[in-house]
Amino acid sequence: MKPHRRKKLGMIIFMTLGLSLAVGLIAFAMRQNINMFYTPTQVAAGEVEIGKQFRIGGMVKAGSVRDDPDSLKVSFITTDFVSDVPIRYEGILPDLFREGQGLVAEGKMDSAGVFQASRVLAKHDENYMSQEVKAALDAAGVSTETYNGQVNGVLGSALPLPLPET
Amino acid sequence: MWLWFSKLGSPKWFYDLSGKWLPWLIGAMVIFLTVGIVWALLFLPPDYQQGHTSRILIIHVAVAGTSLVFFPLMAVAGVITMVWRMKLADMVAKNAAPIGAWFSFLTLATGSIWGSVSWGTWWEWTDARLVTMLFQFFLLLGVISLRSALEDPDKAAKACALLSIVGLINVIAIKYSVEFWNTLHQVSSSVSFSSDSPNGPEFLIAIIIMLIAVYLFLSVCLIMATRNEILQRERRSQWVQNLVRLS
Repeated sequence: MKPHRRKKLGMIIFMTLGLSLAVGLIAFAMRQNINMFYTPTQVAAGEVEIGKQFRIGGMVKAGSVRDDPDSLKVSFITTDFVSDVPIRYEGILPDLFREGQGLVAEGKMDSAGVFQASRVLAKHDENYMSQEVKAALDAAGVSTETYNGQVNGVLGSALPLPLPET
Repeated sequence: MWLWFSKLGSPKWFYDLSGKWLPWLIGAMVIFLTVGIVWALLFLPPDYQQGHTSRILIIHVAVAGTSLVFFPLMAVAGVITMVWRMKLADMVAKNAAPIGAWFSFLTLATGSIWGSVSWGTWWEWTDARLVTMLFQFFLLLGVISLRSALEDPDKAAKACALLSIVGLINVIAIKYSVEFWNTLHQVSSSVSFSSDSPNGPEFLIAIIIMLIAVYLFLSVCLIMATRNEILQRERRSQWVQNLVRLS
């Protein structure tokens, strides 16, 4: 490589590294602001003050959803399997809201330690499974992990391609 | 190696070679796109939680994954332009930007439609994945307008190359946003047939066909646009004039 090209390439690499470092430091400094929600453990540890508007994210605890039959009021418990936070909400819940699934709720803590939500969003995981297969597996009492492990294992050994994650 | 490298930089060589490849690429693209879209939208069994909404994800995942290649491509082309002054690299970079903007737009649109049903919201400003993706869209629009704002083509190429490097850093932020920060967006869908993959095989196959289809689509668009650019920029050269006379 000619010296002037080497010098130029060096400059570009130096600039890129410097810029990445700057962006990385900014992202690191702002990580709590960029986080979309607090976890129940953070809330239980008192990281958020009472009466302040914020978002909480966790799983809907199994068996905790209580619907009021006469209104749109609903109460449930959100958990990260370390701490629990009770949530109260009035309104229409998204399609994917269900027990054992993730959620993000926006609202305030009241003095009784209950999170009064003004908005509830469902958080979906990155896993997909067909209705028919799921029903068949449930009927046979086989876990989805076992099924996917076997079928994907066979397909994977037949098609050994390095595939990207997207 | 260096001989091959300089040959690759010759617009005429690229024009001839890509002309031979293009019909095959277009044929493969049509097959994969048809199979992929028809299968994903009509025949794929619905997800046990999302129902028919999961069909959008097959397209969303493929387009979103592909939209992340534009800035790395433009940055590499930009460095080659700045260091080795290869004309072809700049032509590729110039034409990648509008295609990338469309891909980013499609990613945002399909994601938004899916989110409105599944999450219960079209858009969340506080979600790092969503906002970094929007930033990529605006950066690509920025690259396009920077190119047309500067009159000197050499200066424009250099400025766009620098902006592409900024975009490259943003791509890293998009990729890892769902792991660094708490987001509403789920973490990356694992597209692999490893035995611990949590995804049903029917979804994996659909996503892989769609990914190949979208990559072929991107290649065809980029090659066609670059060939067009070559003819325009080399219009005074002997071989282009011969080509025009023959046709």
